[in-house]
Amino acid sequence: MSPVPEPEPTGSLELRVARQGGRHVIAAQRHQGALRLLRPVYLDSSGQQCVIVVNPGGGYVGGDRYRLTAEVGEDASALVTTQSATKVYRTAGRGVLQEQRFIVADGAVLEVVLDPLIAYQDADYLQRTSAVVAPTGRLVLTDIVTPGWAPDGSPYRWRSVLLRTSLTRPAGEPIATDTLRLVPDEDGVAEHGFLGRRTHLGTLLAVAPELDRDAVEEVHRLLADREARVDGLRAGVSPLSSPGLAVRVLGPATEPVHELLLDVHAVLRSRWGSQPRLNLRKY
Amino acid sequence: MVSLGSGLLAVLQFADSALPTGAFSQSLGLETAIDDEAVHDETTFRAWLRRFLHHQLAPADGWAIRAIVRDGADPLEVDAALHAMTLPVQVRDGNAAMGRRAAQIAEQNFSGPAAQAYTTALGRGEVIGSVPVVLALLARDHGTGWEDACAAHLFTSLTSLTQNAVRGIPIGQNAGQRVLRAMHPEVEAALERIAAMTDDEVGAVSPALEIDQMRHSWQRARMFMS
Repeated sequence: MSPVPEPEPTGSLELRVARQGGRHVIAAQRHQGALRLLRPVYLDSSGQQCVIVVNPGGGYVGGDRYRLTAEVGEDASALVTTQSATKVYRTAGRGVLQEQRFIVADGAVLEVVLDPLIAYQDADYLQRTSAVVAPTGRLVLTDIVTPGWAPDGSPYRWRSVLLRTSLTRPAGEPIATDTLRLVPDEDGVAEHGFLGRRTHLGTLLAVAPELDRDAVEEVHRLLADREARVDGLRAGVSPLSSPGLAVRVLGPATEPVHELLLDVHAVLRSRWGSQPRLNLRKY
Repeated sequence: MVSLGSGLLAVLQFADSALPTGAFSQSLGLETAIDDEAVHDETTFRAWLRRFLHHQLAPADGWAIRAIVRDGADPLEVDAALHAMTLPVQVRDGNAAMGRRAAQIAEQNFSGPAAQAYTTALGRGEVIGSVPVVLALLARDHGTGWEDACAAHLFTSLTSLTQNAVRGIPIGQNAGQRVLRAMHPEVEAALERIAAMTDDEVGAVSPALEIDQMRHSWQRARMFMS
C-alpha cells in the first residue's frame, strides 16, 4: 500500500540568504500559493538582508498548511519578519498547521521576529518550528501570543494554540525544545499560575557562542529594571545548555511585551556586533 | 503463597521522597511563589500543586516514563529530550544531579540489564542523568507497568513538594496530608492524559511556573537550591 500523499500546502516559501562581499542577499527563493515575500529591504547600514513574509489572504483558515524554510549561509545575516499579525480564524474541522524550518550556518545570523499571533474564537493553530544551528551560528526567535479575538470581547476563546520549537545542532543533538500548549477549556489558561494573571505571552529563544552567563546577567538586569518601571510585566531568563538563553515575558498588552523583547534582542546584537536595535517602522 | 505486584518493593523504596537524591532541596518554583505571596495557605498551595502536576510533571517526567516503559523508547534519547525541554537552568542542573545520584542507588541496589546499560552510558558521559528515566528502567527490569511506575513517581514528587510547603509556608502536617489525598484523583487524571499525549504536547509546561523557576536564581534569600 502506498503512503497517503501529503496534501499540497496552502502556501510555501523557501529562501536562502548568502553573503556577497559586504552585503547579504537572497541567493535563491521559491514560493508557491498563498505565501510570498515583499521586496527585500535593508533596515540599517549593516547590510543585513531583511525579509518580510506576507500572506496575501490576510489570515489562516481551517485546514490551511503553511511551510516556511529559511537558510542562512556562512557568515551571512538575515532578519525574517511578517507584514502584520498572524490571524487564525475560526477553524471548523481540521486546524491550521504552520511549519517553519530554519538553518543557520557557521558565522551566520538569523533573526526571526514574528508579529503577534491573534487566534480567533474556535481557532486551532499548531506551529512547528525546527532550527538547526551550526556551532558558531547565531539564531534569535521571538513569538508573542495574544489573548485572541471573540465577538463578545472575551479572551482565550480559541480551541487550541500549540507552538513547538526545537533547536538542534547539525548532527542532531538537541539544544532546547520549547512547547507552549494553550488549551483554554482544559488548562484554565486565564487562571493564576498558568499565565500569572497576565494576558500576553512573549518568548525569545537565542543561541550564539557570545551568549555566556554574563550576557544572561545583562538580560536579567534589563528585565528587572523594566518590571520596576512598567506595571503588569513579569519576566524571566535562563541560560540554555549551549551558549544561549530563553526569555519568557508575561504582560498586560502586546506593546510592552514586544518592546521588551526588542530591547533584549538589542542586547544580544550588541554581544556579537554593532547593529542597532531593530526598528521595524522604517519600511 | 504471598504475591506482590511486580517490583512493588523496589518501586516503593526507589520512588520514595526520602530517597537520598536531594529532592527535598528542590523547590521548583514553589519558593518564588511563596515569596511573592501567590502561595500562602492550604488552598493556594493545593491549587499550585495541581498545576505543577498537570503542567510540569505530567508532560515531562510522566511522558518520559510512559515512553520508556510502554513505548520502548531509547532511554538515552528520552534523557536528552528531558534536559532540552527544561529551560530554567536551576531545574535542569538539579534534575541532572538527582539523576546521577538515583542511577548510583539503582546500580547498587536494583541492578538489572536496562538500568545497568544506562549507568554505563552515564559513566561515559553519553547521558546527563534523570530520575524518571532511572525509575522507568527499573520498572523495565522488574516488569512493573508504566502506570504504576508513573503514578509512584508523580506522587512522590508531590510528596516532596508538600513536605517543603509544610515547613516553608508553613501549613500544618494535617493540611499537608489533606492536600496529598486531594491529589489522588488528579494523579489518575494526569495518567489518562499522559497515556494519550501526542509528540507535539510533550514538554508543554506552564509559562508562569517557568518564569518563577527562572527567577529563583536571583532571589535574595533562598531556602532551596532551585
